[in-house]
Amino acid sequence: MVSNAVRAQVAAKWQDSFARLNRSEPGISGLMAFSDAWTLATEFLKPCDLNDLKSRRQYDMRRVRMAFDTINKCRRLPVMMEVFLEDLHKSQHLIAREVESHMNLYSGNSDPEIVRALIFRLVEWYNAWKPPAELGQTIISAYTLAFQTHLFSILPASFAKGIKSLVAATLLGTVSQSSDQRDSALWLAFDTLSLIERYETLITSVGYEYVESHVHETCAGAWSEPMLPKLRSWMLEKIVPWMIWPFARGATNAEEAKTMMQGVGSRFDFHMHKRLCDLRTKEIFDIIVDFPDSVPALHDLKECLQRVDQRAELVQSLRRANRKRLLHPGADTKDILLQYVSTIKCLRIVDPPGVLLFKVADPIRRYLRERPDTIRCIVASLVGDGESGDSLIDDNEPIHPLQQPEAENYADPEWTPEPVDAGPDFRANKTSDIISTLVSIYDSKDLFIKELQVLLAQRLLALKDGNLDRERRNVEILKIRFGEPALQVCEVMLRDMTDSRRIDQHVQSQKPSVMHPTIISRHFWPALEASDMVMPGQFHDLQEQYAKEFSAFKPDKVIRWHPHLGRIQLELELDDRTVEADVPPLEAAFIELFSEKDTWTVDELIERVGTVTRSAALKALGTWVDMRLLKEDSENVFRLLSVAEDVTEVAPPKLGMTSLRIYLLCSRYVIPAVGGEDLPPVISVQQQQAEQMRVYWKFIEGMLTNLGPLGLDRIQAMLKLARGYDRTIEQLGSFMEAAKREGLVTVKDGLWKLGK
Amino acid sequence: MKVHVKHWSAVAQWRWNTGNNNDAAADDEGDVCGICRIPYEGCCPACKMPGDDCPLIWGQCSHVFHMHCLLKWLGTPASKQQCPMDRRPWVTAERKVNNNVGNAAC
Repeated sequence: MVSNAVRAQVAAKWQDSFARLNRSEPGISGLMAFSDAWTLATEFLKPCDLNDLKSRRQYDMRRVRMAFDTINKCRRLPVMMEVFLEDLHKSQHLIAREVESHMNLYSGNSDPEIVRALIFRLVEWYNAWKPPAELGQTIISAYTLAFQTHLFSILPASFAKGIKSLVAATLLGTVSQSSDQRDSALWLAFDTLSLIERYETLITSVGYEYVESHVHETCAGAWSEPMLPKLRSWMLEKIVPWMIWPFARGATNAEEAKTMMQGVGSRFDFHMHKRLCDLRTKEIFDIIVDFPDSVPALHDLKECLQRVDQRAELVQSLRRANRKRLLHPGADTKDILLQYVSTIKCLRIVDPPGVLLFKVADPIRRYLRERPDTIRCIVASLVGDGESGDSLIDDNEPIHPLQQPEAENYADPEWTPEPVDAGPDFRANKTSDIISTLVSIYDSKDLFIKELQVLLAQRLLALKDGNLDRERRNVEILKIRFGEPALQVCEVMLRDMTDSRRIDQHVQSQKPSVMHPTIISRHFWPALEASDMVMPGQFHDLQEQYAKEFSAFKPDKVIRWHPHLGRIQLELELDDRTVEADVPPLEAAFIELFSEKDTWTVDELIERVGTVTRSAALKALGTWVDMRLLKEDSENVFRLLSVAEDVTEVAPPKLGMTSLRIYLLCSRYVIPAVGGEDLPPVISVQQQQAEQMRVYWKFIEGMLTNLGPLGLDRIQAMLKLARGYDRTIEQLGSFMEAAKREGLVTVKDGLWKLGK
Repeated sequence: MKVHVKHWSAVAQWRWNTGNNNDAAADDEGDVCGICRIPYEGCCPACKMPGDDCPLIWGQCSHVFHMHCLLKWLGTPASKQQCPMDRRPWVTAERKVNNNVGNAAC
């Protein structure tokens, strides 16, 4: 049962509502007027179908406005809005249809123009359904919100792609300055539909991608000029005008636009730097190869790195490239050194404190340390071995003494702490020059000094014209670098050369001789290969004569020959011809023997000259066979050709039996000759070490025999008792490994014992 | 066939003729100075250049030293002018020039 109170309340409400709608008009005329106004207004607002123009009615705007007024007076506007939004909702299918048809078309041909048309169409719909402005901002924004919410809910995923290509098209248009008015209208349409807010990241990414492709197009491989200034002005001229549309719309003056663009502008700027930095990081190895032509690119990179923190990436990329392209067995040591030196120079430009360099250089240095010929290469370039044009050292670089790593001087007012990303072993070597850096690959410079001596000895002994100026100059330069005491030995070697010259002059004045020996001070020259060769015939006489003259000149001294070293110029007088030859001693010795009798077997020959290896003997004979003075009649039996044999018979085109044999013979000799001919007469440092180790092998052998199986450290401890033993345990270890390979020892559980 | 030698650039090394180095030909180590323990063909600790700049001195007692080493030794009061090897009074030997030169060149 409805109580009276309720009844009264309802009545009061009714009265109240009626009064509001009727607005104290007589009777219900107010109510009627409201009803008319309501019908008209809702009819007017009801979203219509743009495609169905016939259904559109023309409204008298004055009446419509009055109707709104009436409704407003009755405070029924919120209700009307609800009804309107409800209608809007019901009409959404019209837009959905439109979007669907456009997008279907777009997915068919991917033409951004279709998206453009769609957007304009959507704006048309939006404007058509938009309530008149006099209804107030609230209604309009509520409408906009409802419209957009629905619109976004029906846009398919492919729309984003469409927008992207459309935006890209506008960007291209702006850049090529062929932009038409439609673009500006388009951006307005974007704004109307709030598409910019919704797709801001997308629009930005279009910009980013464009910048990226431009950087790649213009800068890849272009290292010989600075690209950053060009890129900056390009951004300013091309990208910024485009960016104004999405990011600074509504700016009334340049100042305002600038403020609005600040954030996005610096993002773009960063992006450009990052792209260039990425590109250069990827190219860094080739940039270094191209140094010094690529200096501008390095300056660009330096500037980029200050903006973009990609130092770690740079280090990684370079290390990776080095590992892949440089530090493998196929690369020449000289090339590695060259690249290392270029790397030093390049990274000093990019990063003056040297942190990057330190990180990159470490693997290279470690690798170089493992290469057997690194020292030789460095030393060769130290003395300016001018074979190849690209010497490691810059001739303009002043010669400094080698720098030792020095303790930090904190009292120095210029002192700066180490860079933040420096590793724990980082050593700042700001001032050190290239050579110091190269030498510091090895822990001690003694190795260099030794190698230098070997190299100098080889060069001095190979000297033909007797001009020592060059070597003397080199030694002087090296003295500055390594210090006087280290090169004392080289001094002695040079003095031996001049002394030999003087002695020779004296000896020649006493008794002319064809011999012009170099008399060296042993202990001051690197160990020469030992040889028990004996020169036969007239050579022996010559040696004795000279030795006698020498001892007459220097009564306290005698000389001992190294018969296998040096060169001899010969003139061979045969029955029908004379042959001149410039040959090593062994060759000379053999041909001398052939003057005794015409036919020799290899074994007989070897017996006469003392101990030479069979391969060396065959090689020496091969030299004469090549010169057509000897002929191998049967296996290992050689005959002197006193009368030249028919040349045509030997010529390759008519490969008769003899020529074939000679041909084969030669090739047989040439192959070992590859190693033999160029083999330095001086034993290399490595060989010397092996030689010394042979001595210690005796000790080790004794130890293992007497004491049974021993551990490596025990062997090392006992060897230390031996005089002059200076090997590290690692060196001993590798020596023992080598011995194991030869089957001399076996190892089990870390204990070494003699093999069977 | 006749072989004429026109030019021979050979390599040799010099040794001090200490009288017993003909037998020592095989022994490649060579002898050392009894005072500084450096080979005769090296130079004494005070010198830098070997050979004529740092000659040897022969004693009648048949001991041979670097001249500089021996003079320094004789200069100390403790030496009593004796040979450091056998403590006989030091007498420098007269050198016989050209002894066994013929055998030296092996």
